Amino acid sequence: ATGAWMSPKRGLKFVLIMGILPFELISSPEYRTSDVVCVMSPAGCSHVNGFKVDNWKQNLRLIYQCFVWSGSAKSCICHLCGAHLNRLHSCLHCVFFGCFSKKHIHEHAKNKRHNLAIDLLYGGIYCFVCQDYIYDKDMEQIAKEEQRKKYSMWEPTKRELELLRHNPKRRKITANCTIGLRGLINLGNTCFMNCIVQALTHTPLLRDFFLSDRHKCEMQSNSCLVCEMSQLFQEFYSGHRSPHIPFRLLHLVWTHARHLAGYEQQDAHEFLIAALDVLHRHCKGDDNGKKANNPNHCSCIIDQIFTGGLQSDVTCQVCHGVSTTIDPFWDISLDLPGSSTPFWPLSPGSDGSVVNGDSHPSGATTLTDCLRRFTRPEHLGSSAKIKCSGCHSYQESTKQLTMKRLPIVACFHLKRFEHSAKLRRKITTYVSFPLELDMTPFMASSKESRMNGQYQQPVDSLNNENKYSLFAVVNHQGTLESGHYTTFIRQHKDQWFKCDDAIITKASIKDVLDSEGYLLFYHKQFLEYE
Amino acid sequence: MKMEDMSLSGLDNTKLEALAHDVYSDLVEDACLGLCFEVHRAVKQGYFFLDETDQESIKDFEIVDQPGVDIFGQVYNQWKNKECVCPNCSRSIAASRFAPHLEKCLGMGRNSSRIANRRIASSNNTSKSESDQEDNDDVNDNDWSYGSEKKGELIQSNPNSPRRSKSLKHKNGELSSNVNPDLYKYNYSSGISYETLGPEELRSILTTQCGVVSEHTKKMCTRSQRCPQHTDEQRRAVRVFLLGPSASTLPDSDTMLENDGYDAPDGQLIMSRLQWDGSSDISPSDSASSKASTNNSESKRPKKKKKPSTLTLTTTGSGGERDKGQERERGDRDRVVCGGSGSSSSQNALGLSSRKKRPKLPVPLAPSIYDDLN
Repeated sequence: ATGAWMSPKRGLKFVLIMGILPFELISSPEYRTSDVVCVMSPAGCSHVNGFKVDNWKQNLRLIYQCFVWSGSAKSCICHLCGAHLNRLHSCLHCVFFGCFSKKHIHEHAKNKRHNLAIDLLYGGIYCFVCQDYIYDKDMEQIAKEEQRKKYSMWEPTKRELELLRHNPKRRKITANCTIGLRGLINLGNTCFMNCIVQALTHTPLLRDFFLSDRHKCEMQSNSCLVCEMSQLFQEFYSGHRSPHIPFRLLHLVWTHARHLAGYEQQDAHEFLIAALDVLHRHCKGDDNGKKANNPNHCSCIIDQIFTGGLQSDVTCQVCHGVSTTIDPFWDISLDLPGSSTPFWPLSPGSDGSVVNGDSHPSGATTLTDCLRRFTRPEHLGSSAKIKCSGCHSYQESTKQLTMKRLPIVACFHLKRFEHSAKLRRKITTYVSFPLELDMTPFMASSKESRMNGQYQQPVDSLNNENKYSLFAVVNHQGTLESGHYTTFIRQHKDQWFKCDDAIITKASIKDVLDSEGYLLFYHKQFLEYE
Repeated sequence: MKMEDMSLSGLDNTKLEALAHDVYSDLVEDACLGLCFEVHRAVKQGYFFLDETDQESIKDFEIVDQPGVDIFGQVYNQWKNKECVCPNCSRSIAASRFAPHLEKCLGMGRNSSRIANRRIASSNNTSKSESDQEDNDDVNDNDWSYGSEKKGELIQSNPNSPRRSKSLKHKNGELSSNVNPDLYKYNYSSGISYETLGPEELRSILTTQCGVVSEHTKKMCTRSQRCPQHTDEQRRAVRVFLLGPSASTLPDSDTMLENDGYDAPDGQLIMSRLQWDGSSDISPSDSASSKASTNNSESKRPKKKKKPSTLTLTTTGSGGERDKGQERERGDRDRVVCGGSGSSSSQNALGLSSRKKRPKLPVPLAPSIYDDLN
């Protein structure tokens, strides 16, 4: 009876569940051309006028409140046959419920000359004279108010519709289009900047913020970096194919972060932090009115997306008192094996932490290994005693770092450039990093439950809170003395592209995962409303 | 059928199946209904087909995936002639040389002070020709290794790319050539008129020269910083006077408060830190994590990595590495801004030539971020 086949939106018009839903009109080819749209009857109809008398607004509100949006439609029954569901409608002129499928509401309409009925499940208004659902502006307004939906989809106004019809050219972003991608000219060894710009412009939340024009500038001068960022997004989504010249951006960054300027070769990581900082400072106007006392912790978009909390616990070895501090961070810098800081050998469990039953893979170091090392308890040694408030004296201690709060975008910085007193070199050890990452074992909360003796839960596939997906990788090719930065970015869920200054090419997931990796950007998979 | 009248016991399989099928149909129908209503409304309101009016453009913007061309179907390496307008001096500059130009234009380049001093020193000897040869300067300047960066194929930079060394600096015998008339104004008497100089220029001058303003001529002394004619007190005063107000807006002034020599282990400071519930004074740009991860007994302070003075530093965007010799020179100019921060620090700044340590790099925020050091 219902062989319904729901194809993606474009195919819907062919589908329909013929025979059950009399939406015959939709499946007709006439709807395809804009000409027919003009010819069609307007969304509303004149038959509502008979209804819009006396206290109609209040009555309608009641119906929406009590039946439609409350969900109680499922318990109502048809006055004629007692059936539930069956597209139950309520007459708008009197108290009568009738099912649509068996035309009981139609009977009622004919007999009583009551022309309007409302679908109790979805709130649509049906006109029996027009024999179709109609959309009356006033009635829809009431329905919307009663629904109290926080976020509604955009719809064009009448004027906008007109404009759109008169101007048929479109920039449609499909799964296979280049819009949103653009090369960047190298201004003279500025690939360190270009690679970061590519990563930022492909950060989904940041992109959405700027494309929906959410930045309200409060700076008097023309030197707001956030405005420039906004402009950058416009450039990326303009459809232009020639690479963009980010000279204004460079000028602004060097003006606002003078410590960066004047050094011809720079570190991409350093640039990222400096850029985030300037953006954060310039975001004052977007604070949503929540003026935090602390200039370093506001609710600007940068903080919302990038700021996490790193918990540091120092435990006195004598009295076992723990001193905890939490500091904000924008990135996690991870030591690598092969550096002069001791890393290997490190077998799971030797540091006292339980590692979720993971077996240490032989061969390549993984990102998880680095994170494990980062969050291991570390003896500070007898030369680094701390003053314990419990013991009132200097004692040896251990220190451990965990994530108190993860940012929406987590940036991992693999410390490949070693600058110790004895040597300077680049560590090219391959570190394998995953497409999907679960940060649960490194959270402060996990550590707490471990310490309380709770059984270490195996990675819970249903708990989505700490799951992250890779979306950008910045790579450095070359040596410490001279090298070049490129970025892999992710678009449309599973397409990857390589951004090499002005040249953007398609890349495979394998290309990405096989690359050396210097800065890894992960995005939280599931976002919750606050 | 009326649900109330049915009981499931005593029904045979076919009837049960029919029932199940009914329930299934209801569910599917309900699920489809919502979507159908949406579509119906969109069509009736006229916005359903709005995004499909331009099939041509969709074809136009399709991704190209072929060797030798980028995703737009363009051949590599065709962007050599791009130009842009410098926001500082409003001149048109080749895009690929914009960064070195900007460095000089903003007076922050390593050579800027050298060039500026040269110009000032030679102001007596040349006429006011403002021939614009700045582009030549860029090209001749070996600090920027253009050759090491190739577009297109895999970038394997030449490990022997030109390195900066002091010896390379003694080129370009031209004196007054590259003058930006706005930045450099001088007259022909001995000494510099400070009124017409911009803050960058003043700063560079004050790093290398005495700078005390003569009461007679109202000009700045061009002798060395140890010139016997003026006292240190006078030198300090003139710096406060000239850079004082502007110094406070410069990031570096805050950094002078920093105690760089702090070597105590991380632990000792923990007691004084605040809980982070939004009230930590530390800025994320201090990159607590990057410090935290290198806490081994080697005295290497992680923070050092961020300081420009540590030479080798984190750099490597592309191009050569700085020579040790450079550092000293770099330490001389720039960052002198110490006008308002008290006598001792200004003294330090003046004596910067032998100092290796630089003011702390990260972020010019309110001084509070420097309170809690790792």
